[in-house]
Amino acid sequence: MITAEQKPLKEIIEYISPYNRILLVGCNECVTVCAAGGRKEVGLLASALHLNCLKQGKTIEIKELTLERQCDPEYVEELVSEIGRVDAIVSMACGCGVQSVAARYKETPVFPAVNTKFMGASVAQGIWEERCKGCGDCMLGITGGICPVARCSKHLLNGPCGGTSYGMCEISPDVECAWCLIWERLKALGMEKRYEEIMEAKDWRPAGGGGPRKIIREDLSL
Amino acid sequence: MTLQNKLSKGDFVVLAEMNTPKGVDISDLVTNVRHLKSRIDAVVIPDMDNGVMHMSALAGGAIIRQQGLEPMIHVYGRDRNRMALQGDMLAAHVLGINNLVVVQGEAMTHGDHQNAKPVDDLNELDLLVMVHSLLKGRDLAGFELSGKPEFFTGCQVQPIQDDDHLEQEVKAAKAKVAAGAQYIMVPPAFDLDYYTQVLTRFKSLNVPVIATVFMLKNVGMARYISINDPSSKLPESLITRIRKSKDREMECVTIAGEMIKELKTQVQGIKISASGWEDRLPAIMDCAGL
Repeated sequence: MITAEQKPLKEIIEYISPYNRILLVGCNECVTVCAAGGRKEVGLLASALHLNCLKQGKTIEIKELTLERQCDPEYVEELVSEIGRVDAIVSMACGCGVQSVAARYKETPVFPAVNTKFMGASVAQGIWEERCKGCGDCMLGITGGICPVARCSKHLLNGPCGGTSYGMCEISPDVECAWCLIWERLKALGMEKRYEEIMEAKDWRPAGGGGPRKIIREDLSL
Repeated sequence: MTLQNKLSKGDFVVLAEMNTPKGVDISDLVTNVRHLKSRIDAVVIPDMDNGVMHMSALAGGAIIRQQGLEPMIHVYGRDRNRMALQGDMLAAHVLGINNLVVVQGEAMTHGDHQNAKPVDDLNELDLLVMVHSLLKGRDLAGFELSGKPEFFTGCQVQPIQDDDHLEQEVKAAKAKVAAGAQYIMVPPAFDLDYYTQVLTRFKSLNVPVIATVFMLKNVGMARYISINDPSSKLPESLITRIRKSKDREMECVTIAGEMIKELKTQVQGIKISASGWEDRLPAIMDCAGL
């Protein structure tokens, strides 16, 4: 899923300081799972913003709404009845959601309330780690299900660098060496021979090297 | 007198654009430079021009310096991160390359290594800030340099498509000048009335403006540019003129020479881009009376 973290409150306050009526919009998808921008976080942020205004002797109107998916025009349309009643929108969705709302409601300023971080997986309660760079040409089938593009600090494709030490990466004792993980996994699968296969320099076009990417499914298009 | 001194004094300068080879045979580059040595003020060396892999501009600049001419190299962020760029800038100084022009790199998808990973660590403004920092004797991480480099750094504006785009580019150029650009290089346009209006806007930013004269090579090229590049403002009459000429190649040379004559009084410098026909540059300059 896409992970995110709430922006510093000070930054959000700066964005909305010229406005009195705010539409604060959460998203029920990824940002709910990583507890950054779901219904609960919308309520918490609204309270924090109200409190800040009270401290400054000001008042602010905040309308709270959480959409099923902010990256889907079908759900973004649900905001239409609120748009005329607010001065600005604060989105708690990932960058995809913020842009979907901004593209639909061009006359109303839209501000992000979270920093979109990475595509990751939950490794323990409250901990998410990066697992995918969205490179567009998945190589997990030949690397034992461990991605060197996302998990090797140098994105190396042909084995580890000299910075690997007892399974950990030189950048931090908390970061596992992706190539040690790959080696262990290939051994467990009896596929060590695969380690000798040389991977060619990666084609970065599917990763976005050629510009913004797009998927067109003609079988699904109307 | 250096290029920087000439432009600072308000003198008119002539620059010739020359590409490094795609390979290691530098004979054409050296020959072309020798033919122009006493007639131009500097040679502009693009880096991976049009996104096509060539010998680096740094090496090209060093070759030009060896030939006794001033080089001016392109600097852009597509292929190098801030560490590589700063390292190359320090190398440029010690190799005698002190003129830089900060440009935008061509999109990787238009080049000949489309599967390469674009770097894009620093944009044009960032690059100007980087050069300014090096001039002050510090790198972008704040560390002190052992010896300060010296650079004369300019910027390039994007091809102007319409009036609204011109407004955008003037604002962008203003920001670049504020970030340290000491001159502005303007891409070519073939409608001289229109080009004059464009140049006038950039001249208002109070740094030397260098216009570009691009040599058309034939009717096909002129037609292609006219259709595909709205910023070129290439009039149909120019295509007809080349087509009707008995000596089309000479007509192209004459057209470039005439444009230089017209522009000479309007700007502080002209960059002539012959895109591979650098051996015709002396003829163009003859026509222009340079």
